[in-house]
Amino acid sequence: MDKLREKVRNLLKENKVAGYLGYIEGEGGHPLPHFFTKERLEEVERAIVPPDNARYPLDKILESLAAAYPDETFAIQVRGCDERGLNELYKWGQLDPDKVVLVGVACTQAQADYCECPAPWPSVIDYGEKCEPVLQSRRVSRIEALTQEEAFQEWLGHFERCIKCYGCRDVCPMCFCKECSLEHPELLSTGKVPPDVIFQLVRAIHMAGRCIDCGLCEEACPAHIPLRVLYKKANLLVKDLFAYETGSPVTGPSPWKSLGEEVTLEPKPM
Amino acid sequence: MAEKEFEPKIIGFFCNWCTYASADLAGISRLQYPPNIRVIRVMCSGSISPHHVLRAFQKGADGVLIGGCHIGDCHYLRGNYMTIKRVRFLQDLLKFTGFEPERLHLEWISAAEAPKFAEVVRKFTEKIRKMGPSRLKQAA
Ligand code: SF4
Ligand code: SF4
Ligand code: FES
Repeated sequence: MDKLREKVRNLLKENKVAGYLGYIEGEGGHPLPHFFTKERLEEVERAIVPPDNARYPLDKILESLAAAYPDETFAIQVRGCDERGLNELYKWGQLDPDKVVLVGVACTQAQADYCECPAPWPSVIDYGEKCEPVLQSRRVSRIEALTQEEAFQEWLGHFERCIKCYGCRDVCPMCFCKECSLEHPELLSTGKVPPDVIFQLVRAIHMAGRCIDCGLCEEACPAHIPLRVLYKKANLLVKDLFAYETGSPVTGPSPWKSLGEEVTLEPKPM
Repeated sequence: MAEKEFEPKIIGFFCNWCTYASADLAGISRLQYPPNIRVIRVMCSGSISPHHVLRAFQKGADGVLIGGCHIGDCHYLRGNYMTIKRVRFLQDLLKFTGFEPERLHLEWISAAEAPKFAEVVRKFTEKIRKMGPSRLKQAA
């Protein structure tokens, strides 16, 4: 942790950033998201990398910060997924890459296994060490192996537990729209729980090529719906169909953002 | 009482400049096609959002047929480049969730292709009739 704290301290002292968005060890040892500034430099002593199961959508907090202080540069703690999120947010014009400084954390093997994460470290590592990435999601392959009827029954069973709390959307670092289709009365029924069966599909469509697989939605969902499996698949499809790698700094723009210069696909035969 | 034969409800989202016109021509040419299709005219197949397709299924459609101009002929040049991306993606997503992707079909039909139009509508209606009522409808 010393290396990370030292970097943060220097960034603040040398006025390279207006603040650092990370985590602090709060009362009773609770890890909390925190905004560190030069004025309270002594707090950097308590700057931490939280345990794997205490992650917050820092990217999302950075979006509000950047919107409120567009001229300032901020440092932010990122894991692999958080950095993918930033890359995607740059592409969508939500953040300016020149105004973001990374403080990077490599995930533990346990976390990478739990997430089935293909890239569990950011481009800058200030804490932790690279572990083995997980290149294939077993959770996705399991569903792919089901028959149509089995898959339908399984997903229906999940979707019918939804209490429409919008927790999945609210925690999502990639959900930045001012108006949300999930609340549009002409696209989905209102005043109904569980919501329309298509509710999660609508969200999956919006997450395709945008979800950076942080898993926060699935952790937030009180109904334990395996949302992440759905979005992992949506991203795999975007990769297979359009060669788009979500969260990569290289591929872009998103296939949904431009019509494209050529057509490689054909309608499926009837 | 004898059970009534299942009559599928099919929603057709047709581009104004091609498939919709081919439907007109089919009518003028007295070509026969099943009356199960409810047509929604759009200005370009590229303006059909996956939302509209899902909404149609949620509201009880047994099949959704999208008709657009051939690639290269779109009135707005490349609107249909988006159509094919959306449809192919949605079909694969529907497949993953077991939501019967075969109920969604895209066909490029130009204004002159009235016989093709009648044939596609006939084939699609028959296919959906064989499949029976949509699963999603039963769940909704
Ligand atoms: S895993 Fe969930 S919360 Fe995280 S980016 Fe994807 S949809 Fe959003
Ligand atoms: S968090 Fe879970 S229960 Fe809440 S709206 Fe999302 S899917 Fe439904
Ligand atoms: S105008 Fe017909 S598909 Fe665009």
